[in-house]
Amino acid sequence: MGGIYIKNKWLPYLLILPTIILICVFKIYPIFDSIIQGFSSSDSGFTLDNYKLLFADKTFWNSLKVTLKFNLIIIPVQIIVAFIMAMFVNVKVRGIEIFRTVFYLPFCISLTISTVIWQMMLNVNNGVVNSMLGVLGIKPIGFLIDKKWALLSIVLISSWRGCAYWMMFILAGLKGVDSAVYEAAKIDGSGFFNTLFRVTIPMLKNTLLFVLVANTTANFLLFAPMQIATDGGPQGSTNVLMYEAYKSAFKYSNRPRQACLVTILLVIVMTVCVVQNKLMTEKEA
Amino acid sequence: MKLKKMMSLILVTAMAGSMVLTGCGSSSGDGAGGASSGDSGGSASSSSDGEKAQGDTVTIKWISQGTGEDGWEGMTRPILEAYEEETGVHVEAEFYTFSDLFEVIETKAAAGNADFDVMSVDVTYVSKYGTSGYLEPLDQYFSDEEKAKWDDASYQAGVWDGTMYGAPENTSTQELYYNKTLLDKAGITIPENDAQHRLTYEQVAELARQGLEKIDPDGTQGYIGFDFQQVSRVYQMNMLANAMGGKNISDDGYSLDGVINTQPWIDAMTWYQNLVNDGIASRGYDADQLGDQFAAGKMLFIVGGTWTPANMTCDDEVGYTYAPCFEGHEDQAATSTGSWYFGINSKSQNKDAAADFIKFFTLGKGSDMWLEVNGDVPSRIDKQEEIANNPDAPMDMKIAAYEAANTAVPRAVTPVFGEYSTVLDQAWEDVRNGADVEETLNNAVEQFASAVAAYKK
Repeated sequence: MGGIYIKNKWLPYLLILPTIILICVFKIYPIFDSIIQGFSSSDSGFTLDNYKLLFADKTFWNSLKVTLKFNLIIIPVQIIVAFIMAMFVNVKVRGIEIFRTVFYLPFCISLTISTVIWQMMLNVNNGVVNSMLGVLGIKPIGFLIDKKWALLSIVLISSWRGCAYWMMFILAGLKGVDSAVYEAAKIDGSGFFNTLFRVTIPMLKNTLLFVLVANTTANFLLFAPMQIATDGGPQGSTNVLMYEAYKSAFKYSNRPRQACLVTILLVIVMTVCVVQNKLMTEKEA
Repeated sequence: MKLKKMMSLILVTAMAGSMVLTGCGSSSGDGAGGASSGDSGGSASSSSDGEKAQGDTVTIKWISQGTGEDGWEGMTRPILEAYEEETGVHVEAEFYTFSDLFEVIETKAAAGNADFDVMSVDVTYVSKYGTSGYLEPLDQYFSDEEKAKWDDASYQAGVWDGTMYGAPENTSTQELYYNKTLLDKAGITIPENDAQHRLTYEQVAELARQGLEKIDPDGTQGYIGFDFQQVSRVYQMNMLANAMGGKNISDDGYSLDGVINTQPWIDAMTWYQNLVNDGIASRGYDADQLGDQFAAGKMLFIVGGTWTPANMTCDDEVGYTYAPCFEGHEDQAATSTGSWYFGINSKSQNKDAAADFIKFFTLGKGSDMWLEVNGDVPSRIDKQEEIANNPDAPMDMKIAAYEAANTAVPRAVTPVFGEYSTVLDQAWEDVRNGADVEETLNNAVEQFASAVAAYKK
């Protein structure tokens, strides 16, 4: 068996070649193309004008602020909620599979559809959420039309679906922890929180690092709920960078601006991920 | 070990980054985290699976908007069949939703795609697509005699910088529609009025307030007093500012400073905001939903297009009259106008056939069929005269023809209409939701200036 690999040392490379080619064409090439486009003038020369224009644009800075604010809220919310959900569905009781399925179900619904459903539920005129609040004597809240509520509503819509997805990774991580470790901790008199912070979380470090990095990238790129439910409003309060890039590309046909925006977004995502990785690694050390 | 981890991290972020960079060009991509970047829910459908050439049959491809049997997809099918019967040319039509069509055109045309020949162009995008090189000039295909068959406003709206890029399918105008059944129930009679003595917006608002007090005194039935069919869209909302004497954009088409941060705009937006705050106009419905509220018998007054009565889904009787004006501005009554145009893809390999199809649809038998099925205001002078001179023509069409000829204010003519409508649509929506009017208008001026800076460099 091993002989094949020894005799054909190029075979593994040959097997992954199609994937590598596809990644290069559809993933790596667009990155470089966009970076170059951001620094290109209309006559294809080098220019910093596209970035100068962008940095002079108040909409960009507002969008950057909204993006950071949104991610500072949604990333911890999603990971903590997903972690709690995973802990719940990791218990060994009869019928727990039903709960796992129910908790995972939101992810099986497309983001577009779930956004539209939430949009109807949060409608200020006839949404079920406001009807329920009305029963409690609370006046209708403009969840998606009031700038105080809109970003939080988007966090809710996105997390309703997203938490289910991240829960599965954390659950898989939890399943990988040897039960003997918990038993040893119990014998040593460790309480719930002590076990959680000194045993469970350290044992899940690799899983959590992946979830953190992947969740960060996913949420920095998120714009479908904003496009569908708020159109970036009210008053720009949900106008994240990704949506601004989308508008630049498809509403304004301003490709250089879009290229600058996504390049900046890429730099932010990479920086955040490197910092996250460094922090997690340091803790490990 | 650290290097390995770092490499893995870079790979993950690179993959994620590529999702960012390719996200704008993708329509699928359903990730996680709530968790997709490109799940925008567009839709398209094709009327045919036909190929570009089927034996001797010439096939041209038309991309347009209005999916479904009740939309343009179903309405235009007999016209396309008639054209094929008459000429032997098969038209493969591909329909998208209203907003998706703009993205499709941007994507296909910007890439120099030659896989379609004819495109439906919203009037506001004629100049943009013309200057971007997406549209083929039409002057070589249409004689002066043919051009003279459209009213001048309709023809000129298809021209940018002296070149004809679009041929008008029809035009549009606005009237005041009211639910007669509900008003009768509330005991409200519409005062006598005509083109010279119009109802004022203030009067309509007061009638709507009285009506709501009678039919929905505690506000629990979800009735709306008075609103605009295409709420928070410049197409219709700007007519309020126009009716106060405001302009839509600077003469060069590149600035809003001194145009919208002026008294007419402030007054118009403040009036509308008060209408919302008083509970007469709505909040929370978008332009795709609000017309349905009137159609379902849940609204007393609506400013809408001539298709409004045909869209009613309840049995309530609909009344109509001239669009209102503002008190003190009786001589400045204004209605929004303009509609869809046909253009030829500059990269098309079938330009002659495309031009022939466009003539059929805008001047020939196809135009007759379209005006009959669509019920909109014709751009063709002979058809406008037919309505005006025909004593049996429906009164709402006569009103429409009058408004189109006398009070129509063309939409902003600018090659940056995408930026214009994005900024101002949002401004109208923000004001509707309670934002400070002057601050919103000043912000809109700044946003638009930033957006067009790239075109001025």
